[in-house]
Amino acid sequence: MQVVVELFGIARARAGVAQTTAHGHCLGDVLADLAARFPRLAESCIAGRTLRPGFTANLGGQRFVTAQETALSEGDTVLLLPLDAGG
Amino acid sequence: MASPIPGFHSRYLRIDLTAGSGEPVPLAEAFLRQHLGGSGLGVALLLKEGAATADPLSLAASLAFVFSPLVGSPLTTSAKFAVVSKSPLTHRINDSLASSGFALAGKKTGYDAILLTGRAARPSILVIDDGKVDLEPADEFLGLSTRETEQALRGRFGAEFQTATIGPAGERQVSYATISHDGRHAGRGGSGAVLGSKNIKAVAVRGSHRPQWADPPALVELARQFSQKSFGPATAKYRELGTASNLLTFNRLNVLPTRNFQQGSFAGAAAISPEELGVARDRTRSSCAACTIGCEHLYGLRNGKGSVRLEYENLFALGPLCGIDDAEAVLEACRRCDDLGLDTISAGGTIAFAMECVERGLLDEPWLKFGDGPALLQALDLIVTGDGIGRLLALGSRRMAHEIGHDSIDFAPQVKGLEIPGYDPRGLQTMALGFAVGSRGADHNRSGAYEVDFSEAVDRYNVGPESAHLAVETEDKAALMDSLILCKFLRGVFTDFFKESAEILSLVTGWEVTAEELRQTARRIVTAKKRFNILAGWTPAEDTLPERMLQQALPDDTRAQLSADRLAALVRAYNLARGWSPEGWIPEAE
Ligand code: SF4
Repeated sequence: MQVVVELFGIARARAGVAQTTAHGHCLGDVLADLAARFPRLAESCIAGRTLRPGFTANLGGQRFVTAQETALSEGDTVLLLPLDAGG
Repeated sequence: MASPIPGFHSRYLRIDLTAGSGEPVPLAEAFLRQHLGGSGLGVALLLKEGAATADPLSLAASLAFVFSPLVGSPLTTSAKFAVVSKSPLTHRINDSLASSGFALAGKKTGYDAILLTGRAARPSILVIDDGKVDLEPADEFLGLSTRETEQALRGRFGAEFQTATIGPAGERQVSYATISHDGRHAGRGGSGAVLGSKNIKAVAVRGSHRPQWADPPALVELARQFSQKSFGPATAKYRELGTASNLLTFNRLNVLPTRNFQQGSFAGAAAISPEELGVARDRTRSSCAACTIGCEHLYGLRNGKGSVRLEYENLFALGPLCGIDDAEAVLEACRRCDDLGLDTISAGGTIAFAMECVERGLLDEPWLKFGDGPALLQALDLIVTGDGIGRLLALGSRRMAHEIGHDSIDFAPQVKGLEIPGYDPRGLQTMALGFAVGSRGADHNRSGAYEVDFSEAVDRYNVGPESAHLAVETEDKAALMDSLILCKFLRGVFTDFFKESAEILSLVTGWEVTAEELRQTARRIVTAKKRFNILAGWTPAEDTLPERMLQQALPDDTRAQLSADRLAALVRAYNLARGWSPEGWIPEAE
């Protein structure tokens, strides 16, 4: 199953892209796929199949999710962003 | 006098500017332990002074520069001070924080706070040299920008003195004028106008008094650990990109206030984002005194005009909020606000409100259009000269709406008179509650409730009363940080904020402080601010949001909708969680 991944802030800076696609049935699968393809992103944001502290994910701009078992559907958009929104 | 408590001088300097003299006033240990420093101590001092009932620009008004037990310690981000007064913009409590060498030098004068009352007979520089008070003529500095004033004062007094200055906006008592030092600003709520009303162009401080620490070796070790952690992932965003990197995230989540909160996303966001600016322009990094994070990112202006500090709040307010995607105009507007001594959020919010009034035919200023960079710059200049529409703009959006009439107050972007920062509350509804109940008005620094919205704890489009305690928790944390004082950008490095703060405070003061004690202290500080507001005339009706936000969903995200009834239920739940009456009155026993 393919999903679109949009990256923001440090996640974007580390991956070097604003958007990509990834494969998986759940958030953990997608994170593992990203970690394998973007080692610098993994260093900062992803530990195995989970997000590192300080990062979160969002589905379609609406719901924030972090559990690796969060189910995804074909065509979903996953946002990867720093948790800390202060400013 | 008994020996001072470690971390404190156990006294403050009360200066009567009318008489031109100051006197030390002792601060009892129990009082310091209850209120700490910064915002907490400042509010307590102002309550003692009876400042809540005074007109904020009158002779009787008080303004306090308040240091904290951690100032001068080796803890990262602790070189901070609070400026506390009644706000001329909101007529409610105002506590603005800034960091710089002014905090370090100010505390070395030998006082935990410097409280000003009365009014100097003529424009003056207030000089406090190791506790000795003097007023020197300021005529030669009048009209100078904050930057120019600081440079000129360095020439006159030497580099040992640190100064806090107002710009032309403060001199003219614009109700959202700032107090500046070293490119940092005590920005919100118009403390610069209060200082201007006291005929003080700048305060220059120097001193040699260093308080003791209760356990220096352990404090140094703890500070070393915090500094180490401050280089880690929790602060990477601030170090590498700065807060301006919120722009594209907020745009994607449809919570980026655009065209006076008429939309939650801005088509021109990418053009003014730090991601884009960082490629097209010189970028340098800087930091406040005694900070290991260094969140300050400065971007170069064209034509050799130097560089300007860019944060999310000035970027959103002078960019999308006014519909402007011209990077040079936004950066120049930021620079101009800093130099004139204007709060960027209130300046941008008030101008965006005026632009919408023009669009609706309520103001006959056809040049003042959304998206027009030169018009934004012209409006900023007029605020300070007071010419034309500048007189109205200088009042802030609430008072401006009252003068314009035609129900324009419904879309004035303010709470209690303070312009709303860069979070659209319809799509961040825990933050909506934080804004509504905020003691100094709509404020992201006194309530970090957006953190709750950016988590799985709530559905940000449909926050219910059961989540009100989460807004209380973030407000309490902020109250403690603002009183210790530590930078909010350090918060990510704490594992257990209250427990670790108790450890820090114990090492500084020698008190055996517990996390529970600090939770109570934080609640006491929030309640003291509320008490100030009640004395100043607060009523439950002001704990709300602009009518438009309670009647209309965001057009570009129709899920972002919040009714008056739902907000009222949140406010009620918040008040009960605080132990207040459902309407928000404090029980007499407190
Ligand atoms: S993190 Fe930024 S705002 Fe905070 S003390 Fe450091 S430079 Fe100043």
